[in-house]
Amino acid sequence: MKAAQFEQHEPETVEEAVSLLESLDDRAILAGGQSMVPMLRFRLAVPETVIDINQIDALDYLEEDNDWLRIGALARHADVEHADVIQEKYGSFADAAPLVADPQIRNRGTVAGAVAQADPKGDWGSVLLAHEGEVVAHGPDGERTIPADEFFLLPYDTTLDENELLTELRVPTPAAHEGSAYHKLKRKVGDYAMAGSAARLVLDDDGRIERAGIGLTAVDITNVRATDAEDHLEGERPGSDLFKRAGELAAEQSNPESDEHGDAGYKERMVNVLTQRALGDAAERAGLVKRRVTQ
Amino acid sequence: MSSDSERFAEAEDGGPQPEKHCGHGRGGMGEEVKRKEDQRFITGRGNYVDDIKKSGMLHCELVRSPHAHARIEDIDKSRALEVDGVVAVLTADDLLEYDLATMPTLMDDTQDVLVNDKVKFQSQEVAAVIATDRYTAKDGAQKVDVDYDVLDPVVDAADALEDDAPLIRDDIEGQEDNHCLDWETGDEEATAEVFDEAPVTVTEQMLYQRLHPAPIETCGAVGDYDPGKDKLTVHMTSQAPHIHRTLFAQVSGIPEHKIRIVSPDVGGGFGNKVPIYPGYVVAAAASYVLEQPVKWVEERSENIQSTGFARDYDMQGELAATEDGEILAVRTDVLADHGAYNAVAQPSKFPAGFFNIFTGSYDIDTAYGTLTAAYTNTAPGGVAYRCSFRVTEAVYLIERMVKVLADELGMDPAEIRRKNFIQPEQFPYESPTGWNYDSGDYEKALDKALEMADYDHYREEQQRRIETDADKLLGIGISSFTEVVGAGPGKSCDIAGVEMFDSAEIRVHPTGNATVRVGVQTQGQGHETTFAQIVAEELGMDVDDITVEHGDTDTDPYGLGTYGSRSTPVAGAAAAVASRKVREKAKAIAANELEAAEEDITWDRESGEFHVAGAPDRSISITEIAAGAYMNKPAGEDPGLEAVNYYDPPEMTYPFGSYIVVVEVDRETGEVEFEKFVAVDDCGNRINPMIIEGQIHGGLAQGIGTAMMEHVTFDDNGNVTGGDFMNYLLPTSMEIPNFETGHTVTPSPHHPIGAKGVGESPTVGSPPAIVNAVVDAMAHGGISHIEMPMTPDVVWEKLDEAGLAADPADAIALEFDGQWSDEAADD
Repeated sequence: MKAAQFEQHEPETVEEAVSLLESLDDRAILAGGQSMVPMLRFRLAVPETVIDINQIDALDYLEEDNDWLRIGALARHADVEHADVIQEKYGSFADAAPLVADPQIRNRGTVAGAVAQADPKGDWGSVLLAHEGEVVAHGPDGERTIPADEFFLLPYDTTLDENELLTELRVPTPAAHEGSAYHKLKRKVGDYAMAGSAARLVLDDDGRIERAGIGLTAVDITNVRATDAEDHLEGERPGSDLFKRAGELAAEQSNPESDEHGDAGYKERMVNVLTQRALGDAAERAGLVKRRVTQ
Repeated sequence: MSSDSERFAEAEDGGPQPEKHCGHGRGGMGEEVKRKEDQRFITGRGNYVDDIKKSGMLHCELVRSPHAHARIEDIDKSRALEVDGVVAVLTADDLLEYDLATMPTLMDDTQDVLVNDKVKFQSQEVAAVIATDRYTAKDGAQKVDVDYDVLDPVVDAADALEDDAPLIRDDIEGQEDNHCLDWETGDEEATAEVFDEAPVTVTEQMLYQRLHPAPIETCGAVGDYDPGKDKLTVHMTSQAPHIHRTLFAQVSGIPEHKIRIVSPDVGGGFGNKVPIYPGYVVAAAASYVLEQPVKWVEERSENIQSTGFARDYDMQGELAATEDGEILAVRTDVLADHGAYNAVAQPSKFPAGFFNIFTGSYDIDTAYGTLTAAYTNTAPGGVAYRCSFRVTEAVYLIERMVKVLADELGMDPAEIRRKNFIQPEQFPYESPTGWNYDSGDYEKALDKALEMADYDHYREEQQRRIETDADKLLGIGISSFTEVVGAGPGKSCDIAGVEMFDSAEIRVHPTGNATVRVGVQTQGQGHETTFAQIVAEELGMDVDDITVEHGDTDTDPYGLGTYGSRSTPVAGAAAAVASRKVREKAKAIAANELEAAEEDITWDRESGEFHVAGAPDRSISITEIAAGAYMNKPAGEDPGLEAVNYYDPPEMTYPFGSYIVVVEVDRETGEVEFEKFVAVDDCGNRINPMIIEGQIHGGLAQGIGTAMMEHVTFDDNGNVTGGDFMNYLLPTSMEIPNFETGHTVTPSPHHPIGAKGVGESPTVGSPPAIVNAVVDAMAHGGISHIEMPMTPDVVWEKLDEAGLAADPADAIALEFDGQWSDEAADD
């Protein structure tokens, strides 16, 4: 655990950071460092330069306006975990935050950094996909937004340009009858997911599902949407039979590999189970249905 | 001696109420004295190997093989030597010059310090880079160019014994396959006869998976050769400093009195720090050659990938019984993976450790066991991870098999244990494989555990859930284990030829306080408190007036070290006996000071003082006597007040206990949650109940790690896939339930203070209780065994096999709440 030598820059503005990105070769961006620092210490990453963005105060925010919940690039997992607005209105975020790693990592690690890391076993990508969120990036040509759908390419690879800095994640503010949830299966606290499923349901006044979003964790080369299940849900009213079929469709569309987190067949089954559970919670949180206690 | 044991035995029984103080109330036996060492640990003032800094100290980084099996064609140091700050690069050729290229393992195999010819496991040590700081050393290590001819590896013991398996140990003359050793115990013929005729037999195959002790402090050393004094000091993470000194002398040829091993604060050992590792030798050798101090400290993954693993016993268990559950015989056959070298850490006459104690807590007349060990392209090991040598595997085998038999017969697992327990009046009990159990009352411990666990209630709840097709199943597991700890005696147990005794030296100073030095080394067990309490009890002193020192071979009496729960049974006995020697001498001084005849002087344990018989007001304490020993000694007596004892135990001690675990199993995901965890332990007379409870908690946590998540795994190329804490999972407080601990007290009849070891009981006893509980949850589905670690996927596969897996649709039904009226939304 001994990093190779590197130079470190500490820009104080986004513009400064972008110009460093433009002018320097072979650099890495350091935010919370919970993936980057281990990679440096294992010498899996051996950049000549590290651009530490922690001094860019303008990126340290978590706020909601009329249209968006906005998470700045320096908002920590713990900020999301403890924010009132999250607890009140964003069930999937509230569910996911305490399931990310452990308290020490959540105090330091950033949500945006985890998304930029694009580990298919990361949780936030699934939540972002379920909410049809967006990624905001700053580059030499200014700001652009990338739909979450178009962000993840491969493990640890995204559509961010080389000279772009991810500055914000955002998801639409909830509709009148909207609920979301995240369920994750792991072997112990701090472990990456064996599988995870984020679900978001928007109901119309008639109780029919107007919009469904499902994002899956650790069962494909990136976080992915379960579009077949989403299609199956839309236009229908919530119910356990409907969710059971959605769970099956999500499992069928997932593409897990056998590894130390379990074999592929088990993970598919868990996509089904976790998707059903997430849909159940999301439907209940959407406010027009209630759960019957069967046992 | 016997009167002491009887007296302590009165402190019987306990439960949650505070222990009755046995002694004089100044920190003697049975008192919950706060740990003396915690002040420095809690305030960050511990002194571990990596805290040691020496003037001019260099740093060592080892170059390790990325391949599991490969011949080294060439090593090119030149690019590494060009790195600014790199002082030296060592390979086997350099060590050969000093005759240090190989070292003996604890089982008298020969292991390369740096690979001379052929790499035999991934991460094996190939070269060492010495530099001015550790980062530069790492830079240099990355620039050592090694040309490997990669060979086919074999990482599985069964595969290794196939005819076409690649030969790993071509360095051993005459070795033609990967067979390491065979071992057997018991009576083959008699056992076969019983099995042939028994009304009931059961068989189960079970793997005790490869674990790593994973102490939080990794291994490390600072070699510090002083050319002025011609003396080599090695500060190292050692559980056995004196044995390591002897081995260093044997390996290096440096006379033993010119070697000093210092084991400072050690951040956990668990058996991992019993063997000698190449890094220690390299740091010492480099310091000797360069005449500068050299530090080597492992990274986490180096520790897991290359140092002594534990377990890796693939066991077949068989029981023969009557139809009403009387066990007639036990038989087992084991395939053991020893890794690339035979480096199991056990007494040299015990190639399978104490595994043949597999008849456990039960009065079984007939037993037979066989074992075959294989070499594989994996790191050497077979260390006793928080257990007495292989007793963990033995306890797992018998406690699992008893559950298998109970299920086969439809008997309650508590009842079948009760029926077969060795009874209190049978002690001392000789087992069919030759063990002499000192004392026990197994039923009492089990009864207490059953009561604490509310056993009957959970059995009813379990049935209710089965009948209502509940989403979470309940399982109840029991383990009534017996440990065997405290090796020697020296006549049967030795480490590298040195008989297994231990030692204590007590020096009472003129002003009335004392320094105690012991031959065992603490890695967190609380020796500085426990041993002080023994001496405080025996000499009537205040525990705060006693300092315990250990871990420095220049000052401490020779000892065999701390592992196998042997510190209290052996060094604790030495401390008590040495105290009594001091007391004996003190008696003469007391007579002189009290102006009475020596035969009229009596020792009163309650007050911790000498009295004149018939004159209770005429008394004197050891503190007062100390002054007399130096300043007013009786005519004819030698001055001073000190004693040393080297204690060779007559037998081992046999702590035992009963653990009951209640789990909930999620039928949708296979997740297991602990509902209740009861641990009743009996370690004989208890020295510090708080330290014991801490030890129990820690060991239970490690038992949970074993049962639920830990496993060192390999891929087919020999890569360690479980070689860091992201993949080798350790339990944290979040995975640990609330433990309910209790105890019974059955003193050891042969131990001077009636104590037995305890630190390892929970690690040994808990894994079968946990597995039994999870199996129990689905026994009605015909499941008889689940392999560890029981991660959710493993458990779910068994649920699925038993037809017990459930779908959330049955549990998450949503219903109409009045806003949409045109159709029913209910499922």
